[in-house]
Amino acid sequence: MSMALGILARFGAMLVLLLVNGVMLIYMLRKVLGHLHLRIGPNRVGPFGLLQTTNDVIKLLTKEDLRPASADAWLFNIAPFLIFVPSFMAYIPLVFGPTLAVTSLDTGLLLAFALTSLVPLGVLMAGWASNSKWSLIGGMRAAGQQIAYEVPLLLSALGPVMMAGSMDPVKIVAAQSGVWLGFIPRWFVLPQLLAFVVYAISSQAETQQTPFDMSEAESELITGFANEYGGMRFGFMYLAEFSNTFVVSAIGTMLFFGGWQLPWVATPAWLAPFVFIAKTYTGIFVMMWARGSLPRFRVDQMLSFCWKVLIPVSLAWVVVWACVQRLWPVVAMAVSR
Amino acid sequence: MTDEPRITTPITAEGTTFPGPLPCGLRCIPRGVDELATEHLVLNMGPQHPSTHGVLHILVELDGEEVIAAEASLGYLHRGIEKLAESRRYHQVPTLLDRADYLSGLHSETAWALTVEKLAGIEVPRKASWLRALLMELNRYASHLVWLGTFGMDAGAMAPFLYIMRDREMLLDVIEAITGSRMMFNYVRPGGVAADLPAGVDAKIRAWLDVADTYLDENDALLGGNEIFRLRMKGTGVIDRATALAFGMTGGCLRASGVDYDLRRDVPYCAYPELDFEVPLGVRGDNMDRYDVRVGEMRQCIRLIRQLIDGMPEGEFSGRRSRVLKVPAGECYAAVESPRGELGIHLVSDGGFTPYRMRLRSPAYFNLAVVDEALAGGLIADAIVTLGSLDIVLGEIDR
Amino acid sequence: MPATQPADILRACGIPFEASTEALGDVVRLEAAKVADTLAALYESGYDFLVDLFATDTGERIEVTWHVRAFAEHADLYLKALVDYDAAAPSVWHIYPAALYPEREAAELLGMTFTGHPNPKRLLTADGAEPFLRKSVLIRTAKEVRRPS
Repeated sequence: MSMALGILARFGAMLVLLLVNGVMLIYMLRKVLGHLHLRIGPNRVGPFGLLQTTNDVIKLLTKEDLRPASADAWLFNIAPFLIFVPSFMAYIPLVFGPTLAVTSLDTGLLLAFALTSLVPLGVLMAGWASNSKWSLIGGMRAAGQQIAYEVPLLLSALGPVMMAGSMDPVKIVAAQSGVWLGFIPRWFVLPQLLAFVVYAISSQAETQQTPFDMSEAESELITGFANEYGGMRFGFMYLAEFSNTFVVSAIGTMLFFGGWQLPWVATPAWLAPFVFIAKTYTGIFVMMWARGSLPRFRVDQMLSFCWKVLIPVSLAWVVVWACVQRLWPVVAMAVSR
Repeated sequence: MTDEPRITTPITAEGTTFPGPLPCGLRCIPRGVDELATEHLVLNMGPQHPSTHGVLHILVELDGEEVIAAEASLGYLHRGIEKLAESRRYHQVPTLLDRADYLSGLHSETAWALTVEKLAGIEVPRKASWLRALLMELNRYASHLVWLGTFGMDAGAMAPFLYIMRDREMLLDVIEAITGSRMMFNYVRPGGVAADLPAGVDAKIRAWLDVADTYLDENDALLGGNEIFRLRMKGTGVIDRATALAFGMTGGCLRASGVDYDLRRDVPYCAYPELDFEVPLGVRGDNMDRYDVRVGEMRQCIRLIRQLIDGMPEGEFSGRRSRVLKVPAGECYAAVESPRGELGIHLVSDGGFTPYRMRLRSPAYFNLAVVDEALAGGLIADAIVTLGSLDIVLGEIDR
Repeated sequence: MPATQPADILRACGIPFEASTEALGDVVRLEAAKVADTLAALYESGYDFLVDLFATDTGERIEVTWHVRAFAEHADLYLKALVDYDAAAPSVWHIYPAALYPEREAAELLGMTFTGHPNPKRLLTADGAEPFLRKSVLIRTAKEVRRPS
């Protein structure tokens, strides 16, 4: 297959995955929240309400593209793309199967985190460019929150990276094959439990879900930074939010839960993407579960929790694990002698 | 359009400098929010906002996230109820009062009935008093449920709002069976009530009582037991005892600040002298105390409803049945303990078929006045939560 | 608290008044100009809670009522004063901050002023609204508004 065709095929696959993901995740959110709240969720449009999101997307596409007259036109128009495009590009390092990945990069994980860290820039831009006080507060909060929580997100990922010895997601997943002591799958979540907890909390905050959704606190700021956006511009930002959720959950699956591998049995290549997506969606389900049950933190409580608790803990864990990993062969050899 | 010139009353600021020390520890003279200053951000919360309960417009002056000053701008729900009452007969006024405090209409109706009966010297049969107390307690529980759900939503938890709706539907079914309506009752009349308890309502109430404790425990665990919620509520929105008394607050807000005053126990009316209940009290007057006091009141409601339905006497449900009532000239005041506080009606009568002047002393009106004091110094997130904890209903504030 | 005790306080202040006990309760009628001093004295002697403040149009003048309560004894007291249309009564916000909103409301709905109020803006009605709690402002049906006879 020629190189250009290959690239086009991968790009197309990523786009399809992004859109289908968005549709499925929005439907899943509404259904999960519905059942948590003693109601049903969408059930009218299509069987079990499955066509609800497609109808919503069509509605958003056909809406008028409004912009407040006093908003900064350039930045107002660009901000949704700055939120959406990095989330889309973050699909690049994801590994769906033993041979199914867009590309294999030595610094794939770093690329993913670098791309998701562009999103707060877009949020801040959207909040400021709307020229509305409520959007401004939302944008400022997002800037503070998302930028702060990227640090523990990255630090907590260092543990599995040290265990696998590489930042390439393909190698990280490959390092989790096999079993310990004959029956425990060699998934990094067990030795890295603390890092996993920090990663889970940080990813909930990165994707702005309750209890960390201060920047779009619905009962305070209505939609926060996205107040003045309507139609498909809002649709892009909404889609990007779900795409982000998928990306952080997928990275968590790859780092801690063995990626596309089934425990104890060898995974056939055709089954691998389904296993990966199933694991990712389970992680997303847990995030939505927390979202529907908990109240939200206040901004200063959330930020002090990040700076004073999560970052020291994850830093300490990195140091501890580095020592353990260095000294373990020495200790093992000393013990076996 | 009429040709008469519109009279605009000059409300001028004469002598607005106050020389002495500020009363009751007020931070500063409440002149309102300075909209022309540019160092601070002046934000309009409302009147359309997912969180201000009703059409309430609050101006907040922000320094970043901190609230420097706050001012409530009212009147978006003003319908002239007090003026309209002057042209309604005594049995027609409850329809207006239902729409004042729409979450606890039976309390307003009972206050009106008590005032008219006091001035006109009408006797109320014992069963009618018990029926009034039963409906008031059911209404109080339903109103507190709405407060609980919306308070959770202010804090960000969406689940409790739908959980309380499950309980509230059972209660509204009961109320509809008795009064004929879920919200605008027109049930309590001067002289008694409109109708007796129908057959089958007893079983409905007992069915509800069976699950009420469990449902309340669930709702309380979802919110009050949640660590994030407690972190947000403890220590925020503190209204101390002196401030609460100075601003004329009553009800749960006053009790949360440590003042032990409940009209049901201290100035009893209807069936309350014969009923046994406790009055929960707070200590610090922060949001958590107001939450605990109201949830405690809900538990006492369950206890009271059980006593009321067990001890419901036999007898007439209304003393006088005629629709036309002429009240002798004079003035009278009677108050009930509504879910928000002391709801009083001051009636001035000139001996005719319609009241000369009806003044509704609405508790939320006075509870809201503290917003200038209580919101300053906190963050805007605390402001939202403090407003929710005051349990205001704009219908009775604006009338 | 028996009706004599507020009377004692007022006599001690040298303020002319009329006390009576009616269906309403203990009522003290006095001059509008003296109300602030009276309430200050009453506040000192235990009437620490303002229950309500409202005004009524008697047809010739405006009657303002201050309803205060001594919390400890559950004793209510009503002060009444008569004020001319568009005239002034003293504001008591510095004794009872609870008076802040009711004074604004009475001022706009009956057409009078309270001197010394720090924020004397309209509370419930928009600019240009008549002081409609006055008896001179009639309640009209929608038809009468559209087609005055």
